Amino acid sequence: MKELRHRFSSGFFIILALALLIFGSSNTPVVDKFRSEISDIFVPVLAVASWPLEVVGGVIEWTRQVAIVFSENKSLRAENESLKQAQTKSSQLAIDNQRLKKLLNVGEGKVNTIAAARVVSDSDSPFFKSVLINRGTGDGVKKGLAVINEDGIVGRTINVGTSSSRVLLATDINSRIPVKLASGGINMILEGNNSPYPKLAFLPFGEKLAVGNLILTSGYGMVFPPDLPVGQVVEIGAEGIRIKLSAKLYNLNYVSIVGYEIIRSPVSSPSTKEPDNSSRESNK
Amino acid sequence: MIGLDGKSEIGFRGILPFISTLALVLLMQLQYKITFLDNMFPFLSLTAVYYWCIFKPQLMPVSVVFVLGLLQDILGGGPLGMMALLLVLVQMFVVRQSSRFLEREFLFNWLVFIIVTLVFGLATWIIASVYLKESQNFWDAFGQSMLTIAIFPVVVLGLRWVRSLLVTENR
Repeated sequence: MKELRHRFSSGFFIILALALLIFGSSNTPVVDKFRSEISDIFVPVLAVASWPLEVVGGVIEWTRQVAIVFSENKSLRAENESLKQAQTKSSQLAIDNQRLKKLLNVGEGKVNTIAAARVVSDSDSPFFKSVLINRGTGDGVKKGLAVINEDGIVGRTINVGTSSSRVLLATDINSRIPVKLASGGINMILEGNNSPYPKLAFLPFGEKLAVGNLILTSGYGMVFPPDLPVGQVVEIGAEGIRIKLSAKLYNLNYVSIVGYEIIRSPVSSPSTKEPDNSSRESNK
Repeated sequence: MIGLDGKSEIGFRGILPFISTLALVLLMQLQYKITFLDNMFPFLSLTAVYYWCIFKPQLMPVSVVFVLGLLQDILGGGPLGMMALLLVLVQMFVVRQSSRFLEREFLFNWLVFIIVTLVFGLATWIIASVYLKESQNFWDAFGQSMLTIAIFPVVVLGLRWVRSLLVTENR
């Protein structure tokens, strides 16, 4: 009898797991809500559990920094001198750029930092690349926002709970990010492939890239703001063009969730302004 | 591993197998900031389910295994039901054979675990490839299985200590 009961319950749970596997893959709102609510419960526990690892990581990083501080200091001084000269030149160009944009009424991209978050969990799986962060709808986070850190792009939010969100990393096989070549402005798509080196796709015919080329976000798709560092071309071969990302996705502590929108200044023409005012008054 | 005769379980401590497996599930979710581990972390939950199903199968029922597997799927961001399904299958297999395992040495259990883990790794690779509609890197799954096999004695050492808390001397 006991054996029969065990077999029955095992069969029931196998069918349930199979049903979840088949129907849960469609990412319906019910499944998303279920996932985010469970994540909300465990994020505080994971946040506490990850503290020791963060401290150890911090100590290792500090030791590494101390070890290279003297050699780095010399090169940084030289770099600082050249940057000062470049700064003067770029500020003049920025003023010119601003003036010309105003004349052409070019839409300005507005980047909002919605929240800063701590990475509390990592999928640690070869097939699914995502992390959990400790910010959710309560902090203004929404689905489909860009997640970045000080080095570059990280990923985008795919599942948002009240106090936690899941971030799909740029290396995940489902990740697609519009990017461009920093020097030539050629637009391409960065495709995740579950390896640490995502690939570049849709390189226009006739265009060529070289190892070491810098890749930035293009701003298309309205998720990632333009000109954020993405990475560098490290390999061009039969398997495609591989990119080494600027952000170390295996070593994430804090990230920023950013929103991006285009704001166009209203065209100030008297013929369009007046009827609007009159209609407002008549409504009153 | 065996030989805790003359001892009996204490009621409240009966949740220790669940708690210890849950702790390992949570441990699997942390970010270790090492590029290698980031890609293939050992299946610690598999080790725990395997261990408890041999030594305390009554404290690791199929419902508990299902919940732990589902939790791992949710926290890991993988397909809902994948780990739940695989861990339930492991539970079924081990519970059926547990009387044979109990009579054997640690080395025998480890050898069986090697086979279980390799099949488990292969199954995760198949499910992930079907789910993502694209063949995934098999060697990543193999590496994950090998790491799990290598770390088995260490995890068992910890679980053995937890098991010692489960029992008390009969007076």
